[in-house]
Amino acid sequence: MATTHPILEVRQLTHRVNPGNESLTILRDIELAIETGESAAIVGRSGSGKTTLLGLMAGLDTPTEGAVSLDGEVISQMDEDDRARMRAHRVGFVFQSFQLLPSLTALENVMLPLELASHPSPAHQARELLERVGLGERLQHTPRQLSGGEQQRVAIARAFAAQPRILFADEPTGNLDNDTGQAVSDLLMALNREQGTTLVMVTHDEQLAERCQRRFSIEAGRLSEPALAAGMEVDE
Amino acid sequence: MRSAPAGWFRKTLRDWREREVRIVLSALVVAVATVATIALFASQLQHTLVTSASAFMAGDRQLEAENGQPVPQAWRDEANQRGIATARVVEFSTMVYGGGRFQLVSVNAASDEYPLRGQIEMQATPEAPRRQVSAGPPPGEVWINPRLLRLLEIQIGDAIEVGNRALTVTGLLLRQPDGGFAMSALAPRILMHDTDVPSTGVIQDGSRVEYENFFAGEEAALDAFYEWLRPRLSPSHEWASIRDGQTLSDSLRKAERFLLLGGSLAVLLSSVAVAVASRQYALRQRDTVALLKTLGQAGPHIARGYLARLTAWAVCGLIGGILLAIPLSWGLSLLISRLLDQPMAYRMDWLALGPALATALVALFAFAYPPIRRLRHVPAMRVLRSQPGETGQGALRDGLVALIAVFGLVWLYARELELVLALLGGLAALLGVLAVMGWCLMMALRRVSGGGNAWRLALVGLYRHRRASLAQMSVFAMTLMLAAILVLVRSSLLDDWQSQLPEDTPNHFLINIAPDAVEDVRDFLTERDVSLGRLYPMVRGRLTEINGQPVRQAVSKDEEVNALNRELNLTWMEALSDNNAIVAGDWFDAGQRRGVSIEAELAERLGVDVGDRLGFTIGSETIAEPVKSIRTVQWDSMRPNFYMVFPPEGALTDLPATWITSFYLDPSRKSVLNDFTASFPTVSVLELDHIIDRIRDIVGQVTQAIEAILALVLAAALVVMAAVVSATLQDRQREGALLRTLGAHQRLLTRSTMMEFALLGGLAGLLGVMAAEVAVWALQYRMFEGAFRWHWPVLIAFPVLSAVVLSLFGRWQLRPVLQVSPMLLLRRLE
Ligand SMILES: Nc1ncnc2c1ncn2[C@@H]1O[C@H](COP(=O)(O)OP(=O)(O)OP(=O)(O)O)[C@@H](O)[C@H]1O
Ligand SMILES: [Mg+2]
Repeated sequence: MATTHPILEVRQLTHRVNPGNESLTILRDIELAIETGESAAIVGRSGSGKTTLLGLMAGLDTPTEGAVSLDGEVISQMDEDDRARMRAHRVGFVFQSFQLLPSLTALENVMLPLELASHPSPAHQARELLERVGLGERLQHTPRQLSGGEQQRVAIARAFAAQPRILFADEPTGNLDNDTGQAVSDLLMALNREQGTTLVMVTHDEQLAERCQRRFSIEAGRLSEPALAAGMEVDE
Repeated sequence: MRSAPAGWFRKTLRDWREREVRIVLSALVVAVATVATIALFASQLQHTLVTSASAFMAGDRQLEAENGQPVPQAWRDEANQRGIATARVVEFSTMVYGGGRFQLVSVNAASDEYPLRGQIEMQATPEAPRRQVSAGPPPGEVWINPRLLRLLEIQIGDAIEVGNRALTVTGLLLRQPDGGFAMSALAPRILMHDTDVPSTGVIQDGSRVEYENFFAGEEAALDAFYEWLRPRLSPSHEWASIRDGQTLSDSLRKAERFLLLGGSLAVLLSSVAVAVASRQYALRQRDTVALLKTLGQAGPHIARGYLARLTAWAVCGLIGGILLAIPLSWGLSLLISRLLDQPMAYRMDWLALGPALATALVALFAFAYPPIRRLRHVPAMRVLRSQPGETGQGALRDGLVALIAVFGLVWLYARELELVLALLGGLAALLGVLAVMGWCLMMALRRVSGGGNAWRLALVGLYRHRRASLAQMSVFAMTLMLAAILVLVRSSLLDDWQSQLPEDTPNHFLINIAPDAVEDVRDFLTERDVSLGRLYPMVRGRLTEINGQPVRQAVSKDEEVNALNRELNLTWMEALSDNNAIVAGDWFDAGQRRGVSIEAELAERLGVDVGDRLGFTIGSETIAEPVKSIRTVQWDSMRPNFYMVFPPEGALTDLPATWITSFYLDPSRKSVLNDFTASFPTVSVLELDHIIDRIRDIVGQVTQAIEAILALVLAAALVVMAAVVSATLQDRQREGALLRTLGAHQRLLTRSTMMEFALLGGLAGLLGVMAAEVAVWALQYRMFEGAFRWHWPVLIAFPVLSAVVLSLFGRWQLRPVLQVSPMLLLRRLE
């Protein structure tokens, strides 16, 4: 199935934190490879290490051991500034709690990554994306004036704004009701297809996980790709 | 709700953990501390000045009788009963006999108590060191002006005869506290005891005698005594308090005003800080209130809770502020304690804490309360979803209430309508300019689209936070304006003082130069390289009529015009002296013989205008001349100054005149004076060098005090800026964290933030400084009497400094965002 080199590759990743002197291993020996354009879901219980793994893969932090390469570059050995540059140009994020800036309008929120990536016409591009997620009428509204679903749609518009190669989403529907969650995940999948973006997401939502091409499960810091991988082969 | 103090205290402690509360409380503490420090210090300074001024007039009050009748003993008894100390001096001129010669002298006969304030400076022999003593000679002895030794050719220990009485010369009289500036004593002075006066037999009915009475005691007692005394006084009685006298130079009055200004600015600044922080607090409390409402608490109940909380803060703020103010003002008062001959104890003036109390209450209840009061209207629905447009609600009304309150406060504090109006005008101008500029700026910024470039990101940031940016800019500009006002006023005050008493300020006066000696005096001094100032003729006379009416009737009774009670020095001159300036009418034309020029303040008090006719009595002559011009006079210039000036060849010319002049003599050349008095025994030499030194010393001390006040106010300004900056701290940090996850690298983030704040600070600084110039111009014009000019160093320094300080604030704000990995940031944000 591997037609190109994997866009995301994790080798022997182990992550420990030291909260108050005692070392706590959150992730152990993680191995994972995702191809360009694929969609992958990571499921697991609360506290199993999903968010931590996502953050490490996105280059928000560096693992204690092991390597993460993104789009052919080993980000686990880069310094913070290089990783920042990487994030600005190739990575998009969607967070469970939206993370919109409350003092900015919807439009300005979407413009943020465009401005960072020195896009020539951030306002224009942002407006287009907001129209695409169905919020063309709410450009000047601040997050406080938007519902949860609407806020998450703004966040998705923001995530896709800089046309990232890969998008990480941490429980994008976690704070939403079923129907809204459904609409938001539809949007995610659609944009993923339209823009050819690779999608990696953490979710509790079984339905959403099932719509992804690959499913991983994480338990007590160990990652596996059980029955689901088999399912994929059945599909083929 | 518990209302016991312990409960309050616990609550306040819990509140303290909230950042906004900490800022409100800190602002309050700084407000109270600044205002209280300034008020305490001002009261101490006032006390010092009054004491020092009292020392210059030998008592707190003087009562002079010029009718040749002693002041009734009953009046002094009344004063003594009221706990007021009294002293007497009898003044008269007579011939003394000694060493085989006669000489006209001016006699001061003092009671034991004299002087009540200040000290007499004397020497036991011409070679002995100068001594400060607190009483004159005992009965049977006399101290004489050193010139008399030469004039009479006598020695210390010889006797001189005053009328029928022989007195032993036991000392040389160098200076009496109240004789410092007096130029009327032309004959050499001697000081004797007043119990010896009757035995001289000099004082007969009809002889010219002045009875000088001195009073010293508590202000309140003195005022009450004056109330009692007033109806008993006749026109020939002159009551003088320090306030009316020219005893201390105007400089010190300006210093007092500066303190008032500083205090008022501190009030304004602190109120702004409290307002900003409490508004922020109210905004943050909305969720809590909504939650309380959901849990079933009623609006009024919630409001009461907040009211109790505010009260607790007020108490804490007051206590904290006052605890801070006491050591501060004590430290400041150490600075000025050197002003006095005898050190003065620190005096805790509890009344001075009034303004601080008022500030705390007004700041909290006019600034902090309105937004907090509106909290009870927060809908419970907010728990689920915030309502749009809540933030701007009622801000205008709050602003208006606050504005009125704070200006009321400043007015109460400074009692200077002009000050309040100047500040108000400056602020209005500032806000107007801000509104226009802000709008233009935002229009311009709108066109900037972002980029990885820090500058553009900074500009985008400014636009993106336009609401907060404009609000912050307004507060910064206001703060900086207030601080700049004080800096500007301070430097012009110091310049003033510096230029007022330059190195070569005349420190000696020559009085009583006979007309035919004028040339000789000039030659004598020029030969010895002493540059002589202008020589003025001087005729002594009284102002007796205005437009044909006796002055007593022409001038309303409640106006007390001291100039009417004594003989004025009249002169004539061709060209206006350079420290005078015409404010109405014209200077005399060449060859003009009629007319008189009058000093502006006197003209105002007399209600005299150009064209009015003034009648004078000079000896047995009377003259009447129309007012040709009104002049301002710089009284503290240490040069001969005159209330009335006539044209040369005018009404005075034929009257007997003596001449007066001043010159600067280096202290090392004092011996010139001895030669001079030997050559011109009838000319009086007035040595003012020690007075000038003293004034310089006082100005130096007061300058230090002013610098300290300035530092305090600048510190208050910094607190305001910190409060304002930290109001958006959380939003900024959140944004910084998010920008980092979105790929902004640290340097970019740091640079753009610093630039954004620098821009904000620079603009605010520029606006503030310009508004300050306007306000200072208004203030200067009315209060400090200086000319307007741009102050380039301040104009440049302020914007630059505020840009630097703010960008550092911005950097400091970002610090927690820069130190940790974006991952941790995200966890914190969740
Ligand atoms: N910096 C840290 N210090 C201490 N403990 C940490 C740190 N980061 C993560 N952990 C711990 O590691 C574990 C995994 O955290 P993580 O947030 O990755 O779980 P999660 O699978 O995303 O859970 P949830 O589904 O609840 O979001 C948790 O027990 C968490 O408390
Ligand atoms: Mg998680």
